[in-house]
Amino acid sequence: METVLSIRQLTKNFGRLCAVNHIDLEVKRGQVFGMLGPNGSGKTTTLGMLMGVINPSAGDFSWFGQPATHQIRKKIGAVLEHPIFYPYLSGQKNLELMALIKEAPVANIAKVLELVELSSRKDDKYRTYSLGMKQRLAIASALLNDPIVLILDEPTNGLDPMGIAEIREIIKRISTDGKTIILASHLLDEVQKVCSHFAILRKGNMVHVGPVDDVGKGEETVEIMAYHDDLAILLGSFEGAMSVKKEAQQYLVKMKEGFHSLELNRYLFERGIVATHLVTQKKSLEKQFLEILAEADHAALTKN
Amino acid sequence: MLHLLKIDLKKLIDYRTFWVICGLYFFTLITGAASGMEFLKWIARTFEGFGQKINIDRIPLYHFPDIWQNLAWGGGLLKIGLAIMVVISITNEFTYRTVRQNVIDGMSREQFILSKVLTNLLLSLTSMIGLFLIAVVTGLIYSPTFDFPYGFTGIAFYPAYFLEVFAFLSFALMLGTLIQRSGLTIVLLLNSYLIELIVKENIDNYFPQVVQFFPLESIMNLVPLPFARYAFQEIRDYVTISSVAIAIVWTFLFNYFAYLKLKKSDI
Repeated sequence: METVLSIRQLTKNFGRLCAVNHIDLEVKRGQVFGMLGPNGSGKTTTLGMLMGVINPSAGDFSWFGQPATHQIRKKIGAVLEHPIFYPYLSGQKNLELMALIKEAPVANIAKVLELVELSSRKDDKYRTYSLGMKQRLAIASALLNDPIVLILDEPTNGLDPMGIAEIREIIKRISTDGKTIILASHLLDEVQKVCSHFAILRKGNMVHVGPVDDVGKGEETVEIMAYHDDLAILLGSFEGAMSVKKEAQQYLVKMKEGFHSLELNRYLFERGIVATHLVTQKKSLEKQFLEILAEADHAALTKN
Repeated sequence: MLHLLKIDLKKLIDYRTFWVICGLYFFTLITGAASGMEFLKWIARTFEGFGQKINIDRIPLYHFPDIWQNLAWGGGLLKIGLAIMVVISITNEFTYRTVRQNVIDGMSREQFILSKVLTNLLLSLTSMIGLFLIAVVTGLIYSPTFDFPYGFTGIAFYPAYFLEVFAFLSFALMLGTLIQRSGLTIVLLLNSYLIELIVKENIDNYFPQVVQFFPLESIMNLVPLPFARYAFQEIRDYVTISSVAIAIVWTFLFNYFAYLKLKKSDI
C-alpha cells in the first residue's frame, strides 16, 4: 500500500519542555488513523508540524514520499484546534478566500456548504455563527479542495450529540472514498467507531501504534446468569475458567486463552443448566488506552 | 504574484475598516491640498492685524512647478494614516490567528509576507497617482501659467513620494509582524519618530554625516521641506540619488526582517 505520510524522529522542544519526542510513524493510503492521548500529550503540536505552522526542532517527515512543501498542503484538508476564519467576512467569502489560496474550483463552495448544511446562513458574517456552525464551516473548508488527506483535530469538540453523529457520518463517508484521514481526539469511543488504526501519545512519546481491530484480542471475559444454586462452584470447576467473580446478579468468568463463550455454554448445557444471560465482554479501546497509559507510566517510573 | 495580491485584497475588500481608513486618508489629502490657500489667506489677515501687508499672490505655493514638491511634502505627512491601516491588516492576522490557517491552507510564509508587501505597493502607487491628480487639479486652479517643460520641474518628487510611502508602510508591516498587537504597534509607530529624533539630535553633535542613514530620517529625506524657500532660504529642490539608495536599502531590510520573524516563529 502506498505510504501517504512518513514521520522520522520528529521532535519539538519549547524551551526546556519536550512537546514531541522523536516520533516515528507511517500512515498508508486509505487508513483512518486515530491519534489518541491526554490533553497536552503533543497531538496538536505534531499535527502543527505536519501542516507547516510549527517549525520542528529535529527530524523530518514526508508526504507521498516527497519532502513537504506548501504546494502539497493545498491538497490536504486540515482543521487544527479551533476553527479559524475572518470574523468580519461571511461564511461564503471566507470559503472564497480559501479557494483562492488552495487554488480550488469555486464550484466546490456550494457543494461543501450543502454537505454541512450551512447554505442558508452562508451570507451571514462568521462572527454571528454558533460554535456548532463554526465547527461545520471548518469541516466544509477542509473538504473544499477534494483533499487526498484529511486532518481533523478534535472535530466534534463542543458539538451536540446530533452534530457528533453527523460529523461521524461525514468521516465514514469520506473514508469509503479511499481518502486517508488522520483524526486526533480524546474521545476514545469516537476513534473506535471510525478509525482503522491508532497511535497513543503520552507526554510527547509514542507509546503504542497498531490497528483498532487488535483491540479486544487476548483473553475474554464472559458475563453469565442462570437459575442454579451452585452455579459459582460449577463455573469454578470449568476447565477454561481462569477466575470467577460475582458482580450484582451475574458472574464474570475470565477465560483462559483459546476458550470462548461457546465452550462455556456447552459445558453448562451438558450439566442441564440453561443460561438466561450470556455475553462476551468486548474490551473497549478506552480500557486498552488506560492500560497502555498505565503501563507507560509504570515503565517511566521504573526507569527513573 | 498577481494571485498573491488577489488573496490579500480579498481579505480587505469586504472589511469596512479598510474602506473607512482609506476613504479618510484620501479625503484628507484632498482637503489638505484645498485648505493650503485658505491657510495663506489666514496668515495674510493675521499679519494685517499687526500692520504688515503680505501679498499672498507673491507666494507661489500652488504654482507650477513649485506645487509638485509642496504637495509631495504635505502628502508625505499623511502617510501615517495608511500605515495604521497596514498595521491593522497585519496584526489582525495574528489576533484572529488567520495567518496560521493561511499557512495550513497552503501558503508559504514567504508568500504570506509577499502578499502584504504587494498590497503595500498598490497602496503606495494609488497614493502617488491620487496625489498627482490632486496636484494637477489644484495647479490648474491656482497657477497662472504652465510652461512646458519648465512646469514639470520637480516632477521626480512623485516617484520619490511613492518610495517614501512604500518605505514607511514596509516599516509599519515590520513593526506589526514583530509586535503582533495592533494597539502597541500603533503607539510605537507614532513614537518611532520621536525616539529617532532623540537619538539623532544627540548623535548630530558628534557624527553629523551618520544622520542621513537613520531609517526614518532616510524616508523623510526623499522629499525635503520646501517652504523655507518662501523665506528666501536655499532648499534642495531635487531628488538625490543617495537619498533614494538609502531608502531602498531600508525598505528592503524592513520587509526582510518581517519575513525573517515570520519564518522563525511558530504560528
